[in-house]
Amino acid sequence: MKGPEVSIKVTDLTLRFPVYGVDSKSLKKHLARITVGGQLGRNSMGATEVTAVSKVNMELRSGDRLGLIGHNGSGKTTLLRALAGAYEPDEGTIDVHGQIAAMLDLSLGIDPSATGLDNIRLRGRIAGLSAKEIDDRLDEIAEFTGLGQFLAMPLKTYSAGMQARLAFAVATAVHADVILMDEWIAVGDADFRKIAHKRILELMERAGILVLASHDVELIRLYCNKVMRMEGGVASPIMDVKKLDELLADASDADAA
Amino acid sequence: MQSVQHMVRTGRRGPMHEFSMAFSDLGASLQRIGLAWSLAWHDIVSRYRGSMLGPFWITLSMGLMVAGIGFLYANLFKIPVNEFIPYVALGIVFWGLISNVILEGCGTFVQASGILSQTSLPMFTFVWRTIMRNVINLAHHAVIIVGVLIFYDHWRQTNVPMGLIGLFLLMLNISWISLAAGMASARFRDIPQIVGSVIQFAMFMTPVFWLPGGRLLDHAVLLYNPFFHMLEVVRAPLLGQAVSAPTYIFLSVLAVVGWAATFATFALIRRRIVHYL
Repeated sequence: MKGPEVSIKVTDLTLRFPVYGVDSKSLKKHLARITVGGQLGRNSMGATEVTAVSKVNMELRSGDRLGLIGHNGSGKTTLLRALAGAYEPDEGTIDVHGQIAAMLDLSLGIDPSATGLDNIRLRGRIAGLSAKEIDDRLDEIAEFTGLGQFLAMPLKTYSAGMQARLAFAVATAVHADVILMDEWIAVGDADFRKIAHKRILELMERAGILVLASHDVELIRLYCNKVMRMEGGVASPIMDVKKLDELLADASDADAA
Repeated sequence: MQSVQHMVRTGRRGPMHEFSMAFSDLGASLQRIGLAWSLAWHDIVSRYRGSMLGPFWITLSMGLMVAGIGFLYANLFKIPVNEFIPYVALGIVFWGLISNVILEGCGTFVQASGILSQTSLPMFTFVWRTIMRNVINLAHHAVIIVGVLIFYDHWRQTNVPMGLIGLFLLMLNISWISLAAGMASARFRDIPQIVGSVIQFAMFMTPVFWLPGGRLLDHAVLLYNPFFHMLEVVRAPLLGQAVSAPTYIFLSVLAVVGWAATFATFALIRRRIVHYL
């Protein structure tokens, strides 16, 4: 079995969010609204719109590990969500070959009052595992979390780091060709980071694609071989990670100017 | 191992494209119907975690309501108990199904916002989740139905096949209403309150626990009340009574028109729903 190569191709991707403020969410008249980040504009209906991602082009092939950098609100997470297939483009196309695993938000499919084990099952189902596959791998996933008897406790008793362990264990248990990660892996303690590091390296050996959004330059140097900077929804060209310093210098120049 | 997946997402390319995307969402949700089932099952399990009776709590409270209303009304209005209690029992159980599918429909997308905003799971999966959750509940309440029908010796007349056909027509209709409520509630947060009031009003306008006298369809209030037909189409066969043809026609037309309109709306706003949340 050899399907088409794992790849991501994004052409002229533009994403706009209509802003449904508190006022418009109740049936009242639309009033003036205030927003943060992105470029503000108005659509044909007169509603405020944020252009979160604007005319992004990128192409990634198997083995590419892209680091996304940029300020808060620069469109990194939005781009990841679009790559995950959650946000539909307003313009342009996204074409992804390969099984996608998105680790964007810790709360994905999490039920705070359910136990850790139930949450593993739930998340596994959402991530595309069958009930049987989960049962087969439950021990392995449980061990990887390192949570021991806490797995029998409701998730609401977990700390953020413990939740991250659980989420990461399930997410990486799924066979995936394309991994999308937002910066939350940092919540784990040193121990966990070490195991997580191993897992990511294993995944990278499977020759998939990794897209990691992070503010942590060291993290990007560690895992990525390419970088792209987002600013106000506009993306820089994809560059080799060796040019990360130049890219950062450009950014501070732009800030100073 | 499955072969490599392929996902293409594009900007709007005219209504035809939107419809084909909506159909592929529907198709994908049916392909992974087991996921919707798992989610629904999880909902039930987690809702009653730590309780000994589990979903039978609602069954119990429904049973009490049936007994209370049944005996009270039967005595007040001098109706034979063995006719009235089965009528009320079926009425309350199936009204519960109708009202819960629609009311919980309001939360279909809102509650799934975390999942919808970071995966490409089909949106219809969550519609089925809401419906299946209520089907599981209904299965618990079947205890009341079976018990009452046997106790009051109605089971000999019960027409199960027609009852199931009726249930199918009922589900077909409440499912589109549930989807419509879900989309509307995602966009406007006052919809759940409005839906709640409408459902409550409808309960009093519908013969859930009162018996209309004379020929049913002579009452305009019943003839044009979709909930009356939905209830009648299941309850009458189970009580061994015939359902009039207009009820079947009404429900079939309503299902086709309702699904067409709701699905068209879904197709047109599908890509926006995630931003409403």
